[in-house]
Amino acid sequence: MIDIVRTYWLYFLVGQYPDGPLGGLALTVLLAALALALALPVGLLLGLARVSPFRAIRWPVTALVHVVRGIPLLMVIFWAYFFLPSVTGHKTGQFGTMLMALVAFDGVYLAEIVRAGIRGVPRGQFETARALGLGYGHAMRLVVLPQALRSMLPSLVNQFVSTIKETSLGYIIGLTEVSFIAAQINTQVFTRATQVYLLLGLTYFVLCFGLSRVAVLIERRLGRRAPARIVRSPGSPTSIAVPNA
Amino acid sequence: MPHFDLALLLHGQYHDWLAAGLRVSLELAGLVFVLALPLGVVVALLRLAPSRALRALGAVYVEGIRNVPLLAHLLFWYFGAPELLPDALKERLYAGNFEFVAGTVALTLYTAAYMAEDIRSGIRAVPPVQFEAGRALGFGFVATMRRIVLPQALRVTVPPLISQTLNLWKDTSIATVIGVAEMMYQAARVESASFRSAEAFAFATAAYLAVSLAITGLATWVHRRWPVRTL
Amino acid sequence: MRIPFRTLLASVVAAAALVSAAHADQLDDIRKKGEIVFGVLGTDEPNSFVDPKSRELVGYEVDIGKAIAQKIGVKPVFKQLAVAARIPELQQGRVDVLAASLTHNKEREAQIDFSLTTFVTGQKVLVKTSSGITDVPQLAGKKVLTVKGGTQEPNIRKAVPNVDVVTFETTQQAFLALQQGKGVGYVNDEASIVNDYAKLGPAKKDYAILPTSISVEPLALGIRKNEPALKKVIDDTLRELESSGNADKLFIKWYGPSTKLQFDKRTFKIDSDKI
Repeated sequence: MIDIVRTYWLYFLVGQYPDGPLGGLALTVLLAALALALALPVGLLLGLARVSPFRAIRWPVTALVHVVRGIPLLMVIFWAYFFLPSVTGHKTGQFGTMLMALVAFDGVYLAEIVRAGIRGVPRGQFETARALGLGYGHAMRLVVLPQALRSMLPSLVNQFVSTIKETSLGYIIGLTEVSFIAAQINTQVFTRATQVYLLLGLTYFVLCFGLSRVAVLIERRLGRRAPARIVRSPGSPTSIAVPNA
Repeated sequence: MPHFDLALLLHGQYHDWLAAGLRVSLELAGLVFVLALPLGVVVALLRLAPSRALRALGAVYVEGIRNVPLLAHLLFWYFGAPELLPDALKERLYAGNFEFVAGTVALTLYTAAYMAEDIRSGIRAVPPVQFEAGRALGFGFVATMRRIVLPQALRVTVPPLISQTLNLWKDTSIATVIGVAEMMYQAARVESASFRSAEAFAFATAAYLAVSLAITGLATWVHRRWPVRTL
Repeated sequence: MRIPFRTLLASVVAAAALVSAAHADQLDDIRKKGEIVFGVLGTDEPNSFVDPKSRELVGYEVDIGKAIAQKIGVKPVFKQLAVAARIPELQQGRVDVLAASLTHNKEREAQIDFSLTTFVTGQKVLVKTSSGITDVPQLAGKKVLTVKGGTQEPNIRKAVPNVDVVTFETTQQAFLALQQGKGVGYVNDEASIVNDYAKLGPAKKDYAILPTSISVEPLALGIRKNEPALKKVIDDTLRELESSGNADKLFIKWYGPSTKLQFDKRTFKIDSDKI
């Protein structure tokens, strides 16, 4: 197994870069980070739309959320792949397609996380901000959201872990992320399939397990300062179906 | 762009392919559910066992599986692991529908890891005195779990388990990478053969949605019929 | 109201100019951008593949692409595509030209245009000798492996009506599955099969290429419909390559006696786009 690592480590980490597009583990992490960063504002907007007093906004968004949650991520990727260019007029490549699909898919799930985070900030904070003369927007931006984001941090890190796993589906549209590269390496050393795929699993494990430990650390540090958080009982119908990629 | 041809989806060769794909998806999901649930219970009990070694085993299983994407699991169980078997066994295995077998193995192990965590939360929601009372009455660990704790844990566990089933249903789509002829596989095949991407994907989307809504409807019904009782 | 003839003529010319401007010529776009994007497979040695040492894309079709780019006077950019994604990517404008082991057939003519045929090969089946299969009809009822989204699956089904086909995302996954014994046959273009067979090295003796071709595959470059200027430039480049003898040299470089394929000489010329 060591010689596989020694021969292919660069290809596994960065793909063909700099003689070609970025690939491998670097692409996986970059794609996941970018997707999460873009999905956050989308999740925020969707969350706000879901509680909007206007039916014209609430109903279509609720329908969209139910549709996106009811179909596999792979389906979202295929729709994005075949129809995004005609809709946006932009010629998106595989990276762009994956990015858009992940933002749409994760945005819907993030909407719930964002809503919970905002609700977790005591109402008094918002009221005090308004009493001090700040408008709605400023109160949200300067007082409520920073506190909400801090409490959302563990959930966001866990969502980052999910998104990293979701990037593996880029394999199916030929995106040269780490699973695709592993499969290509495998066809060069085809007698060592077990070792190649074990290495792939190990890579994901180290990355994702490491990050989820970071989330636990963050949660512990937050637990020391934050006020009592709303805890939902496990059997309630508002338990969200968090996807496992 | 040619107009949307609904007739394509309702009869004819392409409809047959898509319908066959739906059948395989349902079979895969059903089989995995039946296999993963008991495995999930076993792993959950491992994580709650009095022995540290058993607890570690359970933790290694759950963390090892959940931190690796399903796609990697599928590739491993189809291309990787079976190669370690002796030749005679390999040949017998490959002579059958090995794609479906490997897909089932990967999905079962994967889903069981997530179900185990939900079951574990459910068990922990049952007040510890129940377990202690059972032990005090002379039941062993397994018997206490089986007769006293698990039945109470069930009501709490059912909603998250149903959302895991929803995830399982959607995860069957990834089996296409190891050649399982489920719905995404057939939809892509129809698209290649006919260049009609909209029709093929509309069928697949509608099928996934229909079953997802059925599963979610089941969850709501269960919650109404058997609400969680708190002591 | 009587419209003066000059006004009428002017408005007709203006309308015509507007219409033609609305449909911008792809060749002009390419010249303006300064680069032409070729969609290649990158996994089909020796048409297009990644050289493991330099990690660069090289191959027969890559060299043809470079020649076309040089003729237009722009930079060639190569983008790797999956087999099933080739035609959608071209139609959606993500690539300018397909140089991806693309078969020219009647069904595809409704979707895209083709250049002059650049290569002629057949499709064949690779089997393990241990399966005891010596020709294509014996595949009836057996399982064969190939890639998703190409002409391989329809062709083998036509040749052997009750064959069982399992497809994978790439040709190499399908070939790997054959090596592991998950099916009895692997279907692909003859040139690719000969290449894979050669790469087996000493294990070659356990494999055999079935003699019957299940189809004839004229490979050509793929171009979007209604782009006559681009097609003319591409066809002209190909004709120049042929007449100058460079086309033959390219063939020898990638398919000739010193390569894994070991073809002695070309059995075709680059001169026609009729099939």
